[in-house]
This record gives sequence, structure tokens and C-alpha cells, in this order.
Amino acid sequence: MKKASFLIEDLWPCFQGMVPAALSTCASDGTPNITFISQVYYVDATHVAISFQFFNKTHRNVRENPLACAVVLDPRTLHAYRFHLRYDHSEATGPLFESMSLQLQAVASYSGMTEVFRLQAADVYEVLGVERLEGFTRLPIPPPSERSSRLFIDPNVVSLRLIAERLNQAQMLDEALQGALQMLDDFFGFHHAMILLADERNAKLQTIASHGYSDNGVGSEVGIGEGLIGMVARAQRTLYLSAMDHSLRYARAVRGRAEALGQTEAIEREIPLPGLPDAASQIAVPLVTRGRLVGVLAVESKDPLAFLPRENTLLSIIGLHLATTIDLLSRDQDEIPTDRVGQAPPSPESRTMSTRRFSFFQKDDCIFVDGNYLIRNVPAKILWRLLTQYRDEGRVEFTNRELRMDAWLGLPEYKDNLETRLILLRRRLEQKCPDVRLVQRGRGRFALEADATIELCEKEC
Amino acid sequence: MIPDWIVTLLHTGVSVMVGTRDESLMPECTRAWGIHVAADRGTITILLAETFAGKTLDNLRANGMLAVTCTRPTDHLTCQLKGRVRNIKPVMSAERELSRRWHRDFSAELGACGVSSTLSEGWIVEPTVAIDITVTEVFDQTPGPGAGSKVSP
Repeated sequence: MKKASFLIEDLWPCFQGMVPAALSTCASDGTPNITFISQVYYVDATHVAISFQFFNKTHRNVRENPLACAVVLDPRTLHAYRFHLRYDHSEATGPLFESMSLQLQAVASYSGMTEVFRLQAADVYEVLGVERLEGFTRLPIPPPSERSSRLFIDPNVVSLRLIAERLNQAQMLDEALQGALQMLDDFFGFHHAMILLADERNAKLQTIASHGYSDNGVGSEVGIGEGLIGMVARAQRTLYLSAMDHSLRYARAVRGRAEALGQTEAIEREIPLPGLPDAASQIAVPLVTRGRLVGVLAVESKDPLAFLPRENTLLSIIGLHLATTIDLLSRDQDEIPTDRVGQAPPSPESRTMSTRRFSFFQKDDCIFVDGNYLIRNVPAKILWRLLTQYRDEGRVEFTNRELRMDAWLGLPEYKDNLETRLILLRRRLEQKCPDVRLVQRGRGRFALEADATIELCEKEC
Repeated sequence: MIPDWIVTLLHTGVSVMVGTRDESLMPECTRAWGIHVAADRGTITILLAETFAGKTLDNLRANGMLAVTCTRPTDHLTCQLKGRVRNIKPVMSAERELSRRWHRDFSAELGACGVSSTLSEGWIVEPTVAIDITVTEVFDQTPGPGAGSKVSP
């Protein structure tokens, strides 16, 4: 028999579970086994999956000897196809498992056997080869149909769906922001990205989360209208620079030179925007919901052609979900009452700990730690409030509500962005003072954890 | 000994699939054009077409080991028989008649499940080789929690 090679996508009717298939395996002692299976599932161009529910001998055999062979029928003509397979792995969670499980449950629910038909795992097989059984039927091979394109979902669309689902389920703003950046890396290979939030009062954007940079750059600012990111914020339109000319690198080089020459006075209270020194392309997507700018998502790459219309579209869709999520989670983080506020910290004297010296400059509401700039403005005042209460009253647990009621912090009554300020503070501490941490303790509650002895000093200027 | 209910099942237009393996333990799977249980109820005969079962026949000639599974489409009653080849012979008129009868019964089963007769009648049911098999193990493989339980010996 002549072995033909097929694109398994073209055999899409065979994967609809309309006609049972057969699967043969072989134990390590050489005993063959064969079983009917209700459906062979398409996974991708080189893999199929088979549901593991009942046929335990098959399940055991492929773990001893991964080779397998399946014969499937095309329900349109009953042409038969033989798949040579190698068991690859088993999935008991994740999108493939979920979709196979739901399909089984839907069938089982008709017969009241949802427990009996429970999917144990999706066994994924690599397709080593496919052949049509020649001399099997007199019927002609049906012409290729357009329908397959509706059955096999573009992997980008699957990724978009997963991102939308996870953003939709996020409970905390911080989790949503870091999760979104991680997913951009995992699903689309965007290794270097950041999210900036709009500060409408000051006509600025402030970096709140980043991924793929040695310095997280959280707290760095960009004026609305400045540079690519600022322009995107103003125009509320996605822009991308491919094969970026040297101007951006030039600006970054100037900064590097100034730092090298010790001319740091002008820049010492500025956090640099995260950036790749050798970025070749950049895209910035406005995060807008109901016409209001929430922030900007910016992604960089060393590949000059990394951002083309496809990436523009994908990131714009993600940006829409992200904007809605940010908008929702940053105004809805009210605390749950707690009875654990005000616990005493572990006695610092009982352990040998380093000392961290925090200095608060009243003139510009700015905090330095051990002589290095940490943070300023409202997040700095929040930190100062927490540190003084930690020192004077031994408090370690705090609530968003008490901060909102603290007049000294000067939070506005409406849209106070407290949650984003706390994230900013948390990230800056992670970067500059990792032995003092703000740890989330649920919605609207957090704790101050310190592995160092804390010294505080207030300065007028 | 193959139990009564499985003998009956095997003679009522079942779908017959055959599993073998080669010397490297690579499994092969093919469809048979009919099955018959001998009077001793320890031997079965399956009918294969060399056109698409060449590798299966190579495996059977090389090591004689096989597994056969049969299911009745209308109620999914299913069994698996394991055994060894006793004899491989060309198909004679008796086996051709067996095959025609099987094809008619299986088409009727498929028809009852909504499969157009045009499709099942399109199959080229012209077996060339009859395989006599000594059955060593019989399993009930009807889908469900008990699938795979041994019923004989």
C-alpha cells in the first residue's frame, strides 16, 4: 500500500466524534490490545488527543510502550485513515482538558451519567504518520471543504480568550497587571513590556508594572504627549515604531553618560523608564474605557519588525480588556473588616538584623532609603505613615480604609487611586529595599513585614 | 470458551477491528470484513483484504499475536478477543458468503444508527484472506466503568 501524507487539518470530519475510531496499542510483553474510542480530538498540526475515561489497558500500555495506531472513518464517505501515533503526555487540567471534558459532560448530561462519563485525562499523542486505507470504498474522496477553518481555531484567538478569561477573573489589581504582562510573554513572546497608569491631575503617566527588565522602573513617569507613550496617551490611538531609529537609543545613551560622569543631581529623583538599551521596535497601546484614558501598555523588542498590524490588533484587543479590568479593580478594592489590625511586630532585638535608614524630606514629600531615592508624593506619605506607626505603636497590619480617612495623606475623595499607589509603593520597595515589604492580606488589607531594623529621620529640606 | 452472549453478539453485524504489532512493538490497526465463531467456541475466523491489511498480515505471519474488538453500533455492546493465529488461508466461497452476510447485517446496524446505505454499500467488501484464531482471552469492553473486565477463561 502506498503511504500518503496528509495534513491532519484536512481530515477534520474524522475528529467530530460522529463515528467511533479504533486504537491499538501493545504491552511491553508484546501482547496487542485494541479498543474502540468515541472520538479522536484534534490538538494541532502534529498532535491528537484521546480521552482517558475507561480503557485502562490502553492507558497502561502507552506508558510502557508509547507507540499506538488508530483507524478513523470520515463520516461523509466512510473512507478510513490510519494514524501512526506516539503517546506524548497526559493533561488533567488546562484548555484542552477543559474543552474535552465539557464536551463529554454535555453528552453525559443527556443520559444522567455525568459522574460515569467523567474525563480522567486528555492523552496527547504525536502523529508520526497518516495513511488512507486504499481499496476500502468505491466512493470518491470528498473535495476539501471550507468548513475546517471554522473548526480549528487560530492559536492567537485561543490565547486572547485565555487572557480575557484570566483578566475577567482577577480579584486584585496587582495580580491582573503582573498576570497580563506574564501572559503577553508566555502566549505571544513579548518579553519586555510595561503598563503605565494615567495620572489625570498631573497630566502624567506612571509605570505601575513591568516585565522583562532588570530594573522594574515602577514609579517612573512620562508626561502626556511626551515620546511614543505620551503621544499614544494623548491621541488614544495605538502607535508603533518599527526598525526604530537611533533617536531613542541616543536619549538613553545621554542619560547613561550623565550617570557615568556623576552628573546625577538632575536625575537622581527621577526613576528611569524601563527600556532595552538595544530596542529596535516599540509599540504603545492606549488603555481606554468608555472614552477615558486609564493608561498605556508599552511593549519593546530587539527585533525591528516585531510589531506589525497583526501584533497591533492582538495588543489592542488585550488593551481593551486590560483597561476595563484596571478601571474596575482600582476603584473597587474596599476592605473587609478585620479584627487583626494592630498586632505587635516580632521583637527586632531578638534577631541579628541589618538596619535600614529611611529619610523623609518634608519639602517635596520624598523618601530616601540609606541615601538612595525611593519614592515621593502620596505613596511616600503613605509609607511614612506606616513606618511611624510601626515604630511608635508596633503595628504591622493596615487597611485601605484607614488610609482613606487619614487627612494628612491628602487623598482625594473621589478616584483616589489608592490601590495603584500601594502597588507602586510595593514594587519600589521590592526594587530598592527588599527587606521591608508590603504584603497583601486580602482585599483592602495588607501587612508591613520587615527583616531589618528600621530607623526613621525627618528632614525639612 | 467464548460465552453465549458474545457468540451471539459476534454474529449480529458487529464492527470488527484488528490489532497486531511488529517486531519493534509498533501496533497496527485494521478493519476486518467479517467474523465467525467456530462450533468449538474457542476458535474464530476473521476475513481480511490484503489491499489495506498488508502490514497486519505481515505481523500475523511473523508473530501470530492479535487482538480483535467487536462492537454492535445500535447498543455499543463490545468485546475484545485475544489469541494466536492457527491458520492463514485464501478466502473460499464459504467465506465469501459469510462476508456478504456480515456486510448486509452490519449495513443494517449502521442504517439503524442513521448512516446512509450508500456509504456502507460503497465499501469494497472483498476479503482475500481468512485467519483462523485460537482465542485465549475474552474481555467485556462495553463502554462504562466495568469496561475491560475479563469474562473468559
